[in-house]
Amino acid sequence: MNGDLYREQLLDHYHNPENFGVLEDPDIDITQENATCGDTIHLTAKLDDEGRISKVMFEGHGCVVSTASASMFTTEVLGKTPAEIEAMQLPDIQQMLGGVTLSMGRVKCAMLPLEAMKKGLQKLAKSA
Amino acid sequence: MSFDVSQVKRDFPIFQREIHGKRLVFLDSAASAQKPQPVIDALVRVYSQSYANVHRGIYTLAEEATAEYEQAREKVARFINASANEIVNVRNTTEGLNLLAYSWGEANIEAGDRIVVTEMEHHANLVPWQQLALRKHAELAFIPVTDEGELDLAALPPLLADGKAKLVACTMASNVLGTITPIKDVVRIAREAGAVTVVDAAQAAPHIAIDVKEIGADFLAFSGHKMCSPNVGILWGRHEMLESLPPFLFGGDMIRSVRKYDSCWNDVPYKFEAGTPSIAEAIALGAAVDYLTALGMDAIHEHEVQLVQYTMEQLADIPEVHILGPSAERRGGVVSFWMDCAHPHDIASILDEEGVCVRAGHHCAQPLHTRFGVQATARASFYVYNDEADVDALVAALRRVVKLLKR
Repeated sequence: MNGDLYREQLLDHYHNPENFGVLEDPDIDITQENATCGDTIHLTAKLDDEGRISKVMFEGHGCVVSTASASMFTTEVLGKTPAEIEAMQLPDIQQMLGGVTLSMGRVKCAMLPLEAMKKGLQKLAKSA
Repeated sequence: MSFDVSQVKRDFPIFQREIHGKRLVFLDSAASAQKPQPVIDALVRVYSQSYANVHRGIYTLAEEATAEYEQAREKVARFINASANEIVNVRNTTEGLNLLAYSWGEANIEAGDRIVVTEMEHHANLVPWQQLALRKHAELAFIPVTDEGELDLAALPPLLADGKAKLVACTMASNVLGTITPIKDVVRIAREAGAVTVVDAAQAAPHIAIDVKEIGADFLAFSGHKMCSPNVGILWGRHEMLESLPPFLFGGDMIRSVRKYDSCWNDVPYKFEAGTPSIAEAIALGAAVDYLTALGMDAIHEHEVQLVQYTMEQLADIPEVHILGPSAERRGGVVSFWMDCAHPHDIASILDEEGVCVRAGHHCAQPLHTRFGVQATARASFYVYNDEADVDALVAALRRVVKLLKR
């Protein structure tokens, strides 16, 4: 049941997403596609001197779940190290979204920003 | 000619269940159809009374299973006005089309040749030809789709004029737009130019009468699971075409004799049925063909046109809903749409809460969605068990989507 997906909190993030846009001179610049619907997220992020995430922005048109997840994700991960982000899994994202239980079909929507960030960090580590 | 939909609905045991406490409104038959009791009974009967491996068994059970398996092949042949030795059992439409791309394609396509497909193909009738073209350095060309969602047939003759086109592969009905294509014209024009013709009938065979002799193509493929059967696919080919093709898969049952260093092939269609087939599933497809034939294919099509007409009328009252594709009388039972205020995934989630099953995404037709400038759509598709009450449930649920997501 997805009933609690359409609560006000998530709808607010959907209609007025936080950190929507593109960062200049980002350390991470990655586009990730959701294979089931073709939605894409473009994620840009900066790391501070200690290697922790200091700023994240995203753009792309998606569903309530992927947009709200991306919006909340941009503040959720601030101050985290790449290793901490690598350790994040679905339960962390469900918790971030307010403790929802996602149906199988919607997991990919919610995980899109985290997957993009992980991929971006892996790309950054390879180029370093 | 018509049938009693409420009686038909009772034939499908799945409609006894509820989804989230609501009546099941199943509007995703274009992806896969539900199964009526006679088909389920056929499966159970085979497994509980007549199951053994087919062909070559010299005992009663094997002979019974073989007879039933071959009788089902004959039923399928009659269903599309073909001969039984032109019916190849495969896994699904996708496998049938891949069989052609490998068997026919590898032997017949050379560098510089052209393969013609259409912009409205399902990935199953696009990617096998696209990859064949890439392997062979051949050209892939597309019959465009008009803004109304019809094939732009005038674009076909120029693609055939220089004689380089060796194959034209075309769907008989779009799984997104619902458009029923002028397949006889496509085939006639292609064959006049000497091209081999392949028809993807996955969205046609369950819904409209098919006569392969009237269509005139070389090959045609469809899937049982979209027409009330378990999952077994059918590849039809004109007998002389099947005769001329090399086998695709090698192994048991497809050989006549095997020596250490070479082998001879069995006759068609067995040459293309390597290994143990889906025996009970193929027999149950025979039961599905009986079920649909009893309802009448023309009556089924008429029923769906009426439902689509009603759906399009009802949806016209929701200004946020935009429908892709042609008018009701030019399409099968498929209505794909997008909404100003809602992503297709959200539409499908909210509809699910109301017991309404629709598909959301690109429906394995990404180039077609690109053509219409949308990422994804929501799709409602109808079959023999759907009625106007199902459409009313869809419309009511869509009004809820607007209420929830429009700001």
